[in-house]
Amino acid sequence: MAYSEVTEFSGQVGDFKVKVHRKARYVDDTRCTACGACAEKCPTRVPNEFNFGLDDRKAIYKDYAQGIPSVYTIDPKACKVLQGGKCGVCAKVCQAKAIDYEQKDTDVELTVAAVIVATGYEMFDATQIPEYGYGRLPNVISSLEMERLLSAGGPTKGHLSRPSVVRGEIRLKDLAKQIKKAEKAEDAEALAKLKAEEEWLEDHVKKYHTAKKLGFIQCVGSRDFRFHKYCSSYCCMHSIKEAIIAREHEPETESSIFYMDLRTVGKGFEEYKVRGAQVSGLKYIRGRVAEVTQDEDLNPVVHYEDTEQRRVMSMTLDMVILANACSPARGVVGLSKLLGIELEENNFVKTHPNRPLDTSVPGIFTCGCAQGPLDIPESVAQASSAAARAAEVVMTGGRALAV
Amino acid sequence: MASNEVLIIGGGIAGMQAALDLGEMGIKVHLVERNPSIGGKMAMLDKTFPTNDCTI
Repeated sequence: MAYSEVTEFSGQVGDFKVKVHRKARYVDDTRCTACGACAEKCPTRVPNEFNFGLDDRKAIYKDYAQGIPSVYTIDPKACKVLQGGKCGVCAKVCQAKAIDYEQKDTDVELTVAAVIVATGYEMFDATQIPEYGYGRLPNVISSLEMERLLSAGGPTKGHLSRPSVVRGEIRLKDLAKQIKKAEKAEDAEALAKLKAEEEWLEDHVKKYHTAKKLGFIQCVGSRDFRFHKYCSSYCCMHSIKEAIIAREHEPETESSIFYMDLRTVGKGFEEYKVRGAQVSGLKYIRGRVAEVTQDEDLNPVVHYEDTEQRRVMSMTLDMVILANACSPARGVVGLSKLLGIELEENNFVKTHPNRPLDTSVPGIFTCGCAQGPLDIPESVAQASSAAARAAEVVMTGGRALAV
Repeated sequence: MASNEVLIIGGGIAGMQAALDLGEMGIKVHLVERNPSIGGKMAMLDKTFPTNDCTI
Protein backbone atom coordinates (compact mmCIF):
# COMPACT_ATOMS: atom_id res chain seq x y z
CA MET A 1 0.00 0.00 0.00
CA ALA A 2 2.01 2.91 -1.27
CA TYR A 3 0.93 6.52 -0.63
CA SER A 4 -0.43 5.37 2.76
CA GLU A 5 0.25 5.95 6.45
CA VAL A 6 -0.59 4.13 9.66
CA THR A 7 -3.02 6.30 11.66
CA GLU A 8 -4.36 4.07 14.44
CA PHE A 9 -2.77 1.24 16.33
CA SER A 10 -3.77 -0.96 19.29
CA GLY A 11 -3.63 -4.52 20.58
CA GLN A 12 -0.82 -6.85 21.42
CA VAL A 13 1.47 -9.40 19.86
CA GLY A 14 -0.47 -11.84 17.66
CA ASP A 15 -3.43 -9.49 17.50
CA PHE A 16 -2.55 -5.90 16.59
CA LYS A 17 -5.37 -3.77 15.18
CA VAL A 18 -4.13 -1.24 12.63
CA LYS A 19 -5.82 1.49 10.62
CA VAL A 20 -4.04 2.54 7.42
CA HIS A 21 -4.95 5.80 5.70
CA ARG A 22 -4.64 5.56 1.91
CA LYS A 23 -4.30 8.89 0.19
CA ALA A 24 -6.21 9.44 -3.04
CA ARG A 25 -4.01 9.34 -6.15
CA TYR A 26 -6.90 10.64 -8.29
CA VAL A 27 -5.92 7.84 -10.66
CA ASP A 28 -7.62 4.44 -10.69
CA ASP A 29 -4.76 2.03 -10.04
CA THR A 30 -6.67 -0.91 -11.55
CA ARG A 31 -6.91 0.92 -14.87
CA CYS A 32 -3.71 2.98 -15.14
CA THR A 33 -1.20 1.36 -17.49
CA ALA A 34 1.53 3.92 -16.71
CA CYS A 35 1.83 4.81 -20.41
CA GLY A 36 2.73 8.39 -19.46
CA ALA A 37 0.49 10.20 -21.97
CA CYS A 38 -1.06 12.22 -19.12
CA ALA A 39 2.29 13.54 -17.87
CA GLU A 40 3.39 14.34 -21.42
CA LYS A 41 0.36 16.59 -22.02
CA CYS A 42 -0.11 18.00 -18.49
CA PRO A 43 0.44 21.77 -18.75
CA THR A 44 1.45 22.31 -15.11
CA ARG A 45 5.15 22.19 -14.23
CA VAL A 46 6.51 22.07 -10.68
CA PRO A 47 10.04 21.51 -9.35
CA ASN A 48 10.76 17.79 -9.08
CA GLU A 49 11.52 17.04 -5.42
CA PHE A 50 12.77 13.55 -6.30
CA ASN A 51 15.64 15.25 -8.18
CA PHE A 52 15.95 18.07 -5.61
CA GLY A 53 14.59 20.64 -8.06
CA LEU A 54 17.33 19.98 -10.62
CA ASP A 55 14.52 19.51 -13.14
CA ASP A 56 10.74 19.92 -13.34
CA ARG A 57 7.95 17.40 -13.22
CA LYS A 58 4.28 17.66 -14.14
CA ALA A 59 1.32 17.86 -11.75
CA ILE A 60 0.54 14.24 -12.69
CA TYR A 61 3.71 12.27 -12.11
CA LYS A 62 5.70 9.21 -11.16
CA ASP A 63 8.86 9.66 -9.07
CA TYR A 64 10.91 7.57 -11.44
CA ALA A 65 10.16 5.47 -14.51
CA GLN A 66 10.60 2.09 -12.80
CA GLY A 67 8.53 3.11 -9.75
CA ILE A 68 6.31 0.44 -8.19
CA PRO A 69 3.30 0.44 -8.09
CA SER A 70 3.33 1.38 -11.74
CA VAL A 71 0.63 4.04 -11.41
CA TYR A 72 0.67 7.79 -11.94
CA THR A 73 -0.37 10.14 -9.13
CA ILE A 74 -1.88 13.62 -9.30
CA ASP A 75 -0.27 16.15 -6.97
CA PRO A 76 -3.35 17.85 -5.45
CA LYS A 77 -1.37 20.99 -4.57
CA ALA A 78 -0.32 21.57 -8.18
CA CYS A 79 -3.21 20.20 -10.27
CA LYS A 80 -5.41 22.97 -11.69
CA VAL A 81 -8.61 20.89 -11.48
CA LEU A 82 -8.05 19.84 -7.85
CA GLN A 83 -7.26 23.46 -7.00
CA GLY A 84 -10.70 24.41 -8.31
CA GLY A 85 -9.60 25.62 -11.74
CA LYS A 86 -10.19 24.41 -15.28
CA CYS A 87 -8.01 21.94 -17.16
CA GLY A 88 -8.88 18.23 -17.46
CA VAL A 89 -6.20 17.55 -20.08
CA CYS A 90 -5.03 14.30 -18.46
CA ALA A 91 -8.57 12.89 -18.34
CA LYS A 92 -8.95 13.69 -22.05
CA VAL A 93 -5.72 12.00 -23.17
CA CYS A 94 -5.99 8.95 -20.87
CA GLN A 95 -7.02 6.01 -23.06
CA ALA A 96 -7.48 3.73 -20.06
CA LYS A 97 -9.96 6.20 -18.51
CA ALA A 98 -8.08 5.99 -15.22
CA ILE A 99 -8.26 9.64 -14.16
CA ASP A 100 -10.73 10.20 -11.32
CA TYR A 101 -10.75 13.73 -9.87
CA GLU A 102 -13.48 12.64 -7.43
CA GLN A 103 -11.42 9.90 -5.79
CA LYS A 104 -11.42 10.10 -1.98
CA ASP A 105 -8.92 9.05 0.67
CA THR A 106 -9.81 5.67 2.18
CA ASP A 107 -9.07 3.85 5.42
CA VAL A 108 -8.19 0.17 5.62
CA GLU A 109 -8.42 -1.83 8.84
CA LEU A 110 -6.06 -4.71 9.38
CA THR A 111 -5.34 -7.30 12.04
CA VAL A 112 -1.73 -8.44 12.11
CA ALA A 113 0.36 -10.74 14.29
CA ALA A 114 3.60 -8.76 14.08
CA VAL A 115 4.93 -5.41 12.87
CA ILE A 116 8.27 -4.45 11.31
CA VAL A 117 9.27 -0.79 11.53
CA ALA A 118 11.49 0.00 8.53
CA THR A 119 11.01 3.74 8.28
CA GLY A 120 14.57 4.49 7.23
CA TYR A 121 16.31 7.82 7.64
CA GLU A 122 16.31 11.41 6.52
CA MET A 123 19.27 13.16 4.94
CA PHE A 124 20.72 15.76 7.34
CA ASP A 125 19.63 19.26 6.33
CA ALA A 126 22.94 20.98 5.58
CA THR A 127 21.44 24.49 5.64
CA GLN A 128 21.95 24.15 9.41
CA ILE A 129 25.69 24.59 8.76
CA PRO A 130 25.69 28.00 7.04
CA GLU A 131 29.50 28.14 6.66
CA TYR A 132 29.32 25.35 4.04
CA GLY A 133 26.92 27.46 1.97
CA TYR A 134 24.45 24.71 1.13
CA GLY A 135 21.31 26.30 -0.32
CA ARG A 136 23.17 29.60 -0.78
CA LEU A 137 26.04 28.65 -3.09
CA PRO A 138 24.65 26.97 -6.24
CA ASN A 139 27.55 24.55 -6.72
CA VAL A 140 27.49 23.11 -3.20
CA ILE A 141 25.25 20.04 -3.23
CA SER A 142 24.23 17.13 -1.01
CA SER A 143 25.34 13.55 -1.53
CA LEU A 144 21.90 12.51 -2.81
CA GLU A 145 21.81 15.40 -5.32
CA MET A 146 25.15 14.08 -6.60
CA GLU A 147 23.54 10.64 -7.01
CA ARG A 148 20.78 12.15 -9.14
CA LEU A 149 23.34 14.00 -11.29
CA LEU A 150 25.31 10.79 -11.82
CA SER A 151 22.23 8.66 -12.52
CA ALA A 152 21.42 7.77 -16.11
CA GLY A 153 17.76 8.19 -15.13
CA GLY A 154 18.42 11.56 -13.49
CA PRO A 155 17.91 15.15 -14.63
CA THR A 156 21.13 15.29 -16.68
CA LYS A 157 20.97 11.66 -17.90
CA GLY A 158 24.21 10.99 -16.08
CA HIS A 159 26.22 13.91 -17.42
CA LEU A 160 28.05 15.62 -14.57
CA SER A 161 26.84 19.16 -15.21
CA ARG A 162 27.38 21.82 -12.60
CA PRO A 163 24.15 22.60 -10.72
CA SER A 164 24.57 26.32 -11.51
CA VAL A 165 24.43 25.32 -15.18
CA VAL A 166 21.51 22.87 -14.77
CA ARG A 167 19.46 25.46 -12.88
CA GLY A 168 20.80 28.20 -15.17
CA GLU A 169 19.29 26.42 -18.18
CA ILE A 170 15.91 26.26 -16.42
CA ARG A 171 16.27 29.97 -15.57
CA LEU A 172 17.16 30.81 -19.19
CA LYS A 173 13.83 29.37 -20.35
CA ASP A 174 11.99 31.54 -17.81
CA LEU A 175 14.07 34.54 -18.82
CA ALA A 176 13.17 34.14 -22.50
CA LYS A 177 9.47 34.31 -21.53
CA GLN A 178 10.00 37.31 -19.26
CA ILE A 179 11.97 39.14 -21.96
CA LYS A 180 9.10 38.65 -24.43
CA LYS A 181 6.69 40.04 -21.84
CA ALA A 182 8.93 43.05 -21.14
CA GLU A 183 9.27 43.70 -24.87
CA LYS A 184 5.47 43.74 -25.23
CA ALA A 185 5.11 46.04 -22.23
CA GLU A 186 7.94 48.23 -23.56
CA ASP A 187 9.52 48.33 -20.12
CA ALA A 188 13.07 49.37 -21.08
CA GLU A 189 14.51 49.23 -17.57
CA ALA A 190 13.28 45.70 -16.82
CA LEU A 191 14.31 44.57 -20.31
CA ALA A 192 17.89 45.76 -19.87
CA LYS A 193 18.14 43.98 -16.52
CA LEU A 194 16.76 40.71 -17.89
CA LYS A 195 18.96 40.86 -20.98
CA ALA A 196 22.06 41.40 -18.85
CA GLU A 197 21.19 38.35 -16.73
CA GLU A 198 20.52 36.30 -19.86
CA GLU A 199 23.86 37.27 -21.38
CA TRP A 200 25.78 36.42 -18.21
CA LEU A 201 23.98 33.09 -17.81
CA GLU A 202 24.49 32.08 -21.44
CA ASP A 203 28.19 32.77 -21.09
CA HIS A 204 28.31 30.86 -17.78
CA VAL A 205 26.51 27.82 -19.22
CA LYS A 206 28.94 27.73 -22.16
CA LYS A 207 32.10 28.17 -20.09
CA TYR A 208 31.43 25.90 -17.14
CA HIS A 209 29.38 23.04 -18.42
CA THR A 210 31.00 19.99 -16.90
CA ALA A 211 32.18 19.69 -13.30
CA LYS A 212 35.72 18.31 -13.36
CA LYS A 213 37.30 19.42 -10.09
CA LEU A 214 35.26 17.98 -7.24
CA GLY A 215 35.61 18.32 -3.48
CA PHE A 216 33.85 16.04 -1.02
CA ILE A 217 33.35 17.27 2.54
CA GLN A 218 32.90 14.45 5.05
CA CYS A 219 31.03 14.37 8.38
CA VAL A 220 28.46 17.07 7.55
CA GLY A 221 26.30 16.89 10.64
CA SER A 222 27.82 13.64 11.92
CA ARG A 223 30.50 13.47 14.62
CA ASP A 224 29.65 17.09 15.29
CA PHE A 225 28.61 18.02 18.82
CA ARG A 226 26.29 20.74 17.50
CA PHE A 227 24.20 18.15 15.62
CA HIS A 228 24.69 14.38 15.66
CA LYS A 229 27.40 13.01 17.89
CA TYR A 230 27.35 9.63 16.20
CA CYS A 231 29.14 8.48 13.05
CA SER A 232 26.77 7.92 10.10
CA SER A 233 28.96 4.99 9.00
CA TYR A 234 28.23 4.82 5.27
CA CYS A 235 29.23 8.35 4.11
CA CYS A 236 32.98 7.67 3.69
CA MET A 237 32.27 4.82 1.32
CA HIS A 238 29.45 6.79 -0.30
CA SER A 239 31.72 9.73 -1.16
CA ILE A 240 34.50 7.46 -2.43
CA LYS A 241 31.96 5.68 -4.61
CA GLU A 242 30.60 8.94 -6.03
CA ALA A 243 34.14 10.14 -6.80
CA ILE A 244 35.00 6.85 -8.54
CA ILE A 245 31.79 6.91 -10.61
CA ALA A 246 32.37 10.58 -11.54
CA ARG A 247 35.78 9.59 -12.90
CA GLU A 248 34.17 6.76 -14.89
CA HIS A 249 31.78 9.26 -16.47
CA GLU A 250 34.45 11.84 -17.23
CA PRO A 251 38.09 10.66 -17.21
CA GLU A 252 39.43 14.17 -16.55
CA THR A 253 37.64 14.40 -13.20
CA GLU A 254 39.84 15.14 -10.20
CA SER A 255 38.38 14.56 -6.75
CA SER A 256 39.60 15.55 -3.30
CA ILE A 257 37.99 14.10 -0.20
CA PHE A 258 38.30 16.19 2.99
CA TYR A 259 38.00 13.87 5.98
CA MET A 260 38.54 13.49 9.71
CA ASP A 261 38.95 9.70 9.55
CA LEU A 262 38.13 7.50 6.59
CA ARG A 263 36.05 4.76 8.17
CA THR A 264 35.92 2.11 5.47
CA VAL A 265 34.81 -0.76 7.67
CA GLY A 266 33.36 -3.69 5.76
CA LYS A 267 34.13 -6.53 3.44
CA GLY A 268 36.12 -5.22 0.49
CA PHE A 269 35.72 -1.60 1.63
CA GLU A 270 39.35 -0.84 2.46
CA GLU A 271 40.42 -2.28 -0.90
CA TYR A 272 37.83 -0.04 -2.57
CA LYS A 273 39.33 3.02 -0.88
CA VAL A 274 42.84 2.08 -2.01
CA ARG A 275 41.59 1.42 -5.53
CA GLY A 276 39.97 4.87 -5.50
CA ALA A 277 43.37 6.47 -4.97
CA GLN A 278 45.37 4.20 -7.29
CA VAL A 279 43.00 3.77 -10.21
CA SER A 280 40.69 6.78 -10.01
CA GLY A 281 43.23 9.28 -8.73
CA LEU A 282 41.29 10.37 -5.64
CA LYS A 283 43.12 12.60 -3.20
CA TYR A 284 42.37 12.03 0.46
CA ILE A 285 43.06 15.18 2.48
CA ARG A 286 42.96 14.92 6.25
CA GLY A 287 41.46 18.08 7.62
CA ARG A 288 38.20 19.67 8.58
CA VAL A 289 36.79 22.26 6.17
CA ALA A 290 36.19 25.56 7.92
CA GLU A 291 34.28 27.42 5.26
CA VAL A 292 33.18 27.35 1.63
CA THR A 293 32.99 30.61 -0.32
CA GLN A 294 32.72 31.24 -4.06
CA ASP A 295 34.43 33.32 -6.72
CA GLU A 296 32.71 35.51 -9.34
CA ASP A 297 32.24 32.55 -11.70
CA LEU A 298 30.30 30.63 -9.02
CA ASN A 299 33.25 28.29 -8.38
CA PRO A 300 33.21 27.12 -4.76
CA VAL A 301 36.39 27.82 -2.80
CA VAL A 302 37.11 25.46 0.09
CA HIS A 303 39.12 26.75 3.06
CA TYR A 304 40.61 23.99 5.19
CA GLU A 305 43.50 22.93 7.33
CA ASP A 306 45.62 20.15 5.92
CA THR A 307 46.55 18.48 9.20
CA GLU A 308 49.23 16.29 7.59
CA GLN A 309 51.07 19.32 6.18
CA ARG A 310 50.03 21.50 9.13
CA ARG A 311 48.96 24.28 6.83
CA VAL A 312 45.81 26.29 6.29
CA MET A 313 44.96 26.17 2.60
CA SER A 314 42.30 27.11 0.04
CA MET A 315 41.24 25.22 -3.06
CA THR A 316 39.04 26.43 -5.93
CA LEU A 317 36.76 23.70 -7.29
CA ASP A 318 33.94 23.25 -9.80
CA MET A 319 31.59 21.60 -7.36
CA VAL A 320 31.46 20.65 -3.67
CA ILE A 321 29.57 17.58 -2.50
CA LEU A 322 28.61 17.31 1.17
CA ALA A 323 28.47 13.94 2.93
CA ASN A 324 25.21 14.61 4.76
CA ALA A 325 24.65 12.73 8.00
CA CYS A 326 22.01 10.05 8.46
CA SER A 327 19.30 11.73 10.54
CA PRO A 328 16.34 9.91 12.10
CA ALA A 329 13.28 9.73 9.85
CA ARG A 330 10.80 12.57 9.79
CA GLY A 331 7.70 11.42 11.63
CA VAL A 332 9.42 8.68 13.62
CA VAL A 333 8.59 10.43 16.92
CA GLY A 334 4.87 10.45 16.07
CA LEU A 335 4.99 6.85 14.88
CA SER A 336 6.80 5.68 18.02
CA LYS A 337 4.09 7.24 20.18
CA LEU A 338 1.40 5.60 18.08
CA LEU A 339 3.00 2.16 18.32
CA GLY A 340 4.14 2.64 21.93
CA ILE A 341 7.79 1.83 21.13
CA GLU A 342 10.70 3.61 22.76
CA LEU A 343 13.34 5.65 20.92
CA GLU A 344 16.93 6.09 22.01
CA GLU A 345 18.58 9.48 22.62
CA ASN A 346 19.21 10.21 18.92
CA ASN A 347 15.61 9.32 17.99
CA PHE A 348 16.44 6.02 16.35
CA VAL A 349 14.28 3.08 17.45
CA LYS A 350 15.51 1.59 20.71
CA THR A 351 16.37 -2.10 20.50
CA HIS A 352 16.91 -4.86 23.03
CA PRO A 353 20.60 -5.34 23.97
CA ASN A 354 20.49 -9.11 23.36
CA ARG A 355 17.94 -9.15 20.55
CA PRO A 356 19.09 -6.40 18.22
CA LEU A 357 15.92 -6.18 16.12
CA ASP A 358 13.34 -6.33 18.93
CA THR A 359 11.80 -3.03 19.99
CA SER A 360 10.50 -2.37 23.50
CA VAL A 361 7.09 -3.83 22.51
CA PRO A 362 6.83 -7.63 22.00
CA GLY A 363 5.85 -8.43 18.41
CA ILE A 364 7.17 -5.16 16.97
CA PHE A 365 10.54 -5.47 15.24
CA THR A 366 12.74 -2.97 13.43
CA CYS A 367 15.42 -3.08 10.75
CA GLY A 368 17.48 -0.82 8.51
CA CYS A 369 18.23 2.83 9.20
CA ALA A 370 15.15 3.15 11.46
CA GLN A 371 17.31 1.67 14.23
CA GLY A 372 20.57 3.47 13.32
CA PRO A 373 22.76 4.39 10.35
CA LEU A 374 23.52 1.41 8.10
CA ASP A 375 24.64 0.74 4.57
CA ILE A 376 22.60 -1.29 2.10
CA PRO A 377 24.09 -4.78 2.68
CA GLU A 378 23.62 -4.45 6.44
CA SER A 379 20.06 -3.14 5.99
CA VAL A 380 19.23 -6.13 3.80
CA ALA A 381 20.76 -8.56 6.31
CA GLN A 382 18.77 -6.99 9.15
CA ALA A 383 15.60 -7.06 7.06
CA SER A 384 15.88 -10.80 6.52
CA SER A 385 16.51 -11.24 10.21
CA ALA A 386 13.50 -9.09 11.18
CA ALA A 387 11.39 -11.08 8.70
CA ALA A 388 12.47 -14.29 10.44
CA ARG A 389 11.56 -12.84 13.86
CA ALA A 390 8.13 -11.79 12.56
CA ALA A 391 7.63 -15.23 10.98
CA GLU A 392 8.34 -16.86 14.38
CA VAL A 393 5.45 -14.92 15.85
CA VAL A 394 3.12 -15.98 13.03
CA MET A 395 4.18 -19.64 13.11
CA THR A 396 3.73 -19.99 16.86
CA GLY A 397 0.25 -18.55 16.72
CA GLY A 398 1.13 -15.15 18.12
CA ARG A 399 3.36 -15.84 21.08
CA ALA A 400 6.04 -13.26 21.80
CA LEU A 401 9.32 -15.07 21.60
CA ALA A 402 12.06 -14.39 24.08
CA VAL A 403 15.51 -15.80 23.50
CA MET B 1 -8.05 -16.37 16.71
CA ALA B 2 -4.62 -14.85 16.28
CA SER B 3 -3.81 -13.21 12.98
CA ASN B 4 -1.25 -14.74 10.63
CA GLU B 5 -0.38 -11.57 8.75
CA VAL B 6 2.48 -9.07 9.18
CA LEU B 7 2.54 -5.28 8.80
CA ILE B 8 5.70 -3.57 7.53
CA ILE B 9 5.95 0.21 7.86
CA GLY B 10 8.31 1.69 5.28
CA GLY B 11 8.93 0.54 1.72
CA GLY B 12 12.65 1.22 1.36
CA ILE B 13 15.32 -1.39 0.88
CA ALA B 14 14.85 -2.84 4.40
CA GLY B 15 11.05 -2.96 4.27
CA MET B 16 11.03 -4.45 0.77
CA GLN B 17 13.55 -7.15 1.65
CA ALA B 18 11.61 -8.12 4.81
CA ALA B 19 8.38 -8.23 2.77
CA LEU B 20 9.96 -10.45 0.12
CA ASP B 21 11.35 -12.85 2.71
CA LEU B 22 8.01 -13.17 4.52
CA GLY B 23 6.24 -13.59 1.19
CA GLU B 24 8.60 -16.45 0.29
CA MET B 25 7.62 -18.13 3.54
CA GLY B 26 3.97 -17.91 2.50
CA ILE B 27 3.06 -15.24 5.03
CA LYS B 28 0.72 -12.44 3.96
CA VAL B 29 2.37 -9.03 4.28
CA HIS B 30 0.96 -5.50 4.25
CA LEU B 31 3.69 -3.08 3.17
CA VAL B 32 2.81 0.53 3.98
CA GLU B 33 4.77 3.32 2.27
CA ARG B 34 4.20 7.07 2.64
CA ASN B 35 5.37 8.05 -0.86
CA PRO B 36 3.67 7.22 -4.19
CA SER B 37 6.37 4.66 -5.08
CA ILE B 38 8.28 2.13 -3.00
CA GLY B 39 12.07 2.11 -3.16
CA GLY B 40 12.91 4.79 -0.61
CA LYS B 41 16.31 6.43 -0.63
CA MET B 42 17.84 3.55 -2.51
CA ALA B 43 15.81 4.37 -5.62
CA MET B 44 17.63 7.72 -5.72
CA LEU B 45 21.04 6.09 -5.81
CA ASP B 46 22.87 5.51 -9.05
CA LYS B 47 25.22 2.69 -8.13
CA THR B 48 26.18 0.98 -4.88
CA PHE B 49 29.53 0.34 -3.20
CA PRO B 50 31.79 -1.63 -3.16
CA THR B 51 30.86 -3.38 -6.39
CA ASN B 52 29.48 -0.40 -8.38
CA ASP B 53 26.33 -2.39 -9.18
CA CYS B 54 23.33 -0.54 -10.54
CA THR B 55 20.57 -0.10 -7.93
CA ILE B 56 17.43 -0.30 -10.04
